Amino acid sequence: MTLELVTGNHAAGYALAAAGEANRFARGAACGIYPITPQTEIVEYVAKFPFSKGRIIAVESEHSAMGVSIGASMAGARAFTASSSNGLAYMTENIMVAGLYRLPIVLAAVNRTLGPPWNIWADQGDTLYLRDFASIQLYCETNQEVLDSTLLAFRLAEDRRILLPVMVIMDAFILSHTQTETDLPEQALVDDFLPPLLLPHQLNFDHPATIGGLTWPRETLSQRIEIDEAFERVPAAYEEHRAEFRRIFGRDVGGMISMEDTEDAEAVLVASGTIASTARQVVRQRRRRGERIGLVKMKMFRPFPGEALLDACPKAGKFGVLDRDYAAGLGGVWWHDLRSAMQGRRDGAIVQGYLTGGCGGDVTPDMIDEVIDDLLNRRSAGKPVWKGIDR
Amino acid sequence: MIEIRIHGRGGQGGVTLAKIIATARFLKGDSVQAFGLYAAERTGAPLQAFCRYDREPITNRNLIYEPDHVIVLDPTLVGPAITAGLKPGGWILINTDRFPYEFAEQFPGYRAATVDATSIARRHELGTRSVPIVNTALAGAVARLLDFDLESVRAALEHLAFRGRNFDAAAEAFERVVIVDDIDRTGAAPRRIAPPTARVRGIVDGGGAERPGIRTGQWATQQPRRREWTPPCNHVCPAGNDVQGFLQALALKQTDEALEILLRTTPFPSICGRVCPAPCMESCNRLSLDEAVNVRELERYAGDHGKCSLRPRSFRAQQIAVIGSGPAGLSAAYHLALLGYQVMIVEGGPALGGLLRTGIPPYRLPRDVLDREIDRILDLGVEVVRNTRIDRRRLFDLASEFDAVLVATGLAELRSLDLGSTGDDESVMQGIDFLDRANRGEMRVDGERVVVVGGGNTAFDAARSALRLGARRVRIVYRRTLEEMPAIAEEIDEAIEEGVACDYLTLPVRIERGGGEARLGLICRRMQLGEPDASGRRRPVEIAGSDFRVEADRVLLALGQSPDLSVFPEGTEVRDGEDVLGLLQTPVYAIGDLATGDGTVAAAIGSGRRAALGIHSVFSGEDLAPPPTRGEEVIRSGAMKLHLFESAPSHHGMSRPAEERRFDQEEVHAGLADPAEAVRCLSCGVCNECDRCVTYCPEGVLKRVGHEFIFDYEYCKGCGVCAAECPRNVILMARL
Repeated sequence: MTLELVTGNHAAGYALAAAGEANRFARGAACGIYPITPQTEIVEYVAKFPFSKGRIIAVESEHSAMGVSIGASMAGARAFTASSSNGLAYMTENIMVAGLYRLPIVLAAVNRTLGPPWNIWADQGDTLYLRDFASIQLYCETNQEVLDSTLLAFRLAEDRRILLPVMVIMDAFILSHTQTETDLPEQALVDDFLPPLLLPHQLNFDHPATIGGLTWPRETLSQRIEIDEAFERVPAAYEEHRAEFRRIFGRDVGGMISMEDTEDAEAVLVASGTIASTARQVVRQRRRRGERIGLVKMKMFRPFPGEALLDACPKAGKFGVLDRDYAAGLGGVWWHDLRSAMQGRRDGAIVQGYLTGGCGGDVTPDMIDEVIDDLLNRRSAGKPVWKGIDR
Repeated sequence: MIEIRIHGRGGQGGVTLAKIIATARFLKGDSVQAFGLYAAERTGAPLQAFCRYDREPITNRNLIYEPDHVIVLDPTLVGPAITAGLKPGGWILINTDRFPYEFAEQFPGYRAATVDATSIARRHELGTRSVPIVNTALAGAVARLLDFDLESVRAALEHLAFRGRNFDAAAEAFERVVIVDDIDRTGAAPRRIAPPTARVRGIVDGGGAERPGIRTGQWATQQPRRREWTPPCNHVCPAGNDVQGFLQALALKQTDEALEILLRTTPFPSICGRVCPAPCMESCNRLSLDEAVNVRELERYAGDHGKCSLRPRSFRAQQIAVIGSGPAGLSAAYHLALLGYQVMIVEGGPALGGLLRTGIPPYRLPRDVLDREIDRILDLGVEVVRNTRIDRRRLFDLASEFDAVLVATGLAELRSLDLGSTGDDESVMQGIDFLDRANRGEMRVDGERVVVVGGGNTAFDAARSALRLGARRVRIVYRRTLEEMPAIAEEIDEAIEEGVACDYLTLPVRIERGGGEARLGLICRRMQLGEPDASGRRRPVEIAGSDFRVEADRVLLALGQSPDLSVFPEGTEVRDGEDVLGLLQTPVYAIGDLATGDGTVAAAIGSGRRAALGIHSVFSGEDLAPPPTRGEEVIRSGAMKLHLFESAPSHHGMSRPAEERRFDQEEVHAGLADPAEAVRCLSCGVCNECDRCVTYCPEGVLKRVGHEFIFDYEYCKGCGVCAAECPRNVILMARL
């Protein structure tokens, strides 16, 4: 294992390129790319990569970038792209199309605040709002996790039981532009982990087919049900590929969720992305002071691993959800999903939302402490609490 | 865990310095983070970079608020912000050529160190001289302060592939860093900063209009400045008209204002708007885009439709005589009268106007237009004496009676051509005389074959007049080609439309009487073009044995004119705008064609005005003459951002059809119906308040108040967008 100092963008670009290169004995790698801060370095990396087979096409918009990747994927290439913020918003129609076409495209997304006003810093709102499309979402905490999850994403996406796009997501700047030590695996290992892609519905001149034409409600419904069934198979498939990842690379890519002292915890923080790092540090400190609190780090957002979360926190009666996002008129998206998952399973538990670090705000240990204090003192849940600003 | 904050400016390599330090520690087995605080990614903007390292894995992902040490890449950033949150006893490392003691005093409770990384970087040729890259030198200083050896910096630089003299710079800084290590522990505890907490005003309650707290003008390395240029049309106008100015007034449909602008320099907008060869249109920058702005027709429009009359600006007792009432004399009289002088015009003939009346036919310059513009001058109180010829003796008399005398007798000597037997039956005439008599209604050429010799405006006026006076056939013979013809191009086209035939490269040699159908035979010789002559035009060379006969009942000679200097003493040198005699201490000036030979109305107007201003300067000491424009002050098309303008065809006024107009003396052109053509003027090099700069300023630091554009240099970052967007190059970026 050789550690290098690289940014999150570099890690994502490395993994996308290595995965694409691993398909050189099949149909190669292909994608459309378009720049936007803070993900531009990702597409720059893959654009410079000397692929043995394949083509990287610079296009005029994010919508077209995903369009090219859709076409490439349908033709059997290992396809991917990257975007952020308003770029994702503009790409949205084709993200939806990729899912409904059941294409195993990996989308590296760097969370950036949606504008206006113009703000380049981290906010998960630009990916969470894609929650209703047929796409798996994986949120990362470190540069290593970005790299590893990107490789895992291809295996998960290309699994014939799944065949869905996967979004690998990181916080703007906190990961994308921060250099930390990261293992960049050799191509041979990536080749082992990612066998050549053979898409079952790959376009084929010998067997012409019409795809995406008009279907009646019943046929369309059956397509949606197939997607729902695929999502149901994701947790089991994820664990299989996670085990395979450990076998080949010798480390854990991380679970769909991961726990810190939750077995006996009475109060649990729920966090994702880099906020989980800072929260874990605070939770550990307070544990040492004897407080029975825990942390669940959410890596997977769709499908939402609510059951796993509740199983991991058998004693918890209070959940504090840290959302680096804001769904207008609602509050935090993670908070909302957790409340749904609770329904009929842990009725009476307090599920309190905290809007922390949205719009690029910094989440400090002090802020996490305040959240924990607030949660512990609560007798009932209330409206989501805005943090980082006096109101 | 050690946390370091770096204060630098965009482009100085602060983030890279964080990475070098992180790499050095990473290679020693530490867990590390290196990151920047990204915002306005502009060169020169203050920015911060951070570095963390620890023996244990680093888990926190927040920004650094309480650094252990700070590094300052740019000494101009030294201020309270650099110690914000800094832990007591921490290092402050500053890139400066000053000693650290003053900083130690300024920031009690900390350890201060300085190193002149800029000089070190320059010495090792890192970056450019203006923007040296100081980060590798500072890495050396950091290694010294934080006790990691120089070898770890070498390893980090090699790992990052920073080769060349980077390590030499680090090593030099390692040696040279000056350290103050005695901490004043009594200093007040540093103020702790936290993330901003106060809620700012929202967009709905107008928070968007708040000025930023940081005076971002300090970041600028350049600033926009306004500087206007001379448009080429103004530069070349022989009359000195503010062409761009009156066009812009017309573009705003301010016809009266346009006329006023013209009347400041010329009494004859309606005349020049009909007969000027318009060198402004030949120099128009719009030619690089599509077609020249039709300045001539627009001047006519302003003159014909505007309402404005200027009044004398004061009363001056000096009496000035103007000899000759052609355009130069009238222009001088006009400007002198406007300045307040008592002017008397002495005209040899019965009517005022000189060649304007005798030489230019009414179908090009209707007599009511001419009279109206002359009346404009007489209305200022100018007196006129008609039918009075001035000879050398009368000139001396006038010089003693008046305070100044202007001689504007024009080109009275007509050039001729020896064609042998010219006879005395008027079958061979000077074109000018023909026109004069024709214009007075004393001439007919019914059924005649008329041949005109020459290629200037007189030749074409004579030819077209001959058509109107009943000629059966009119042809022009010219020894060069169409290209070389000095006549206005439009007049040539119109003459040909009306049926005038042109024989180019044809030299009249002699006249034969009888021997053919017509009264005369003009024997001509074919020419071909040879080497260029002094004027740059190719010299016509005769082709031997090519003589042929042109049947002619009348031959009109239009070969140009020369000044008649007989009014002056023998040997007098005449120069435009200069006192020629010094008679009785009275200034005597020769002006117009007499002095310049330019041969255009516009040049005569300019000459008359210059003389008037010169005399005014003699009498009053007040110099009203505009300073001469130097060539480099003129904006050429290359400096205009022509891509910002749309191509649009030129407006041409309506002309009467040739078959109708060739039989009468009514005006050929109807002129423009409206001044829309003026909108095509690009206003080269002169701000016309298009507000594009204001619209495009991304910072909102440029605003227009009335006619004034104000840059708020306190906030202007010097991005240069206004200069890039100014279509007419009025905004330039000045280096600070």
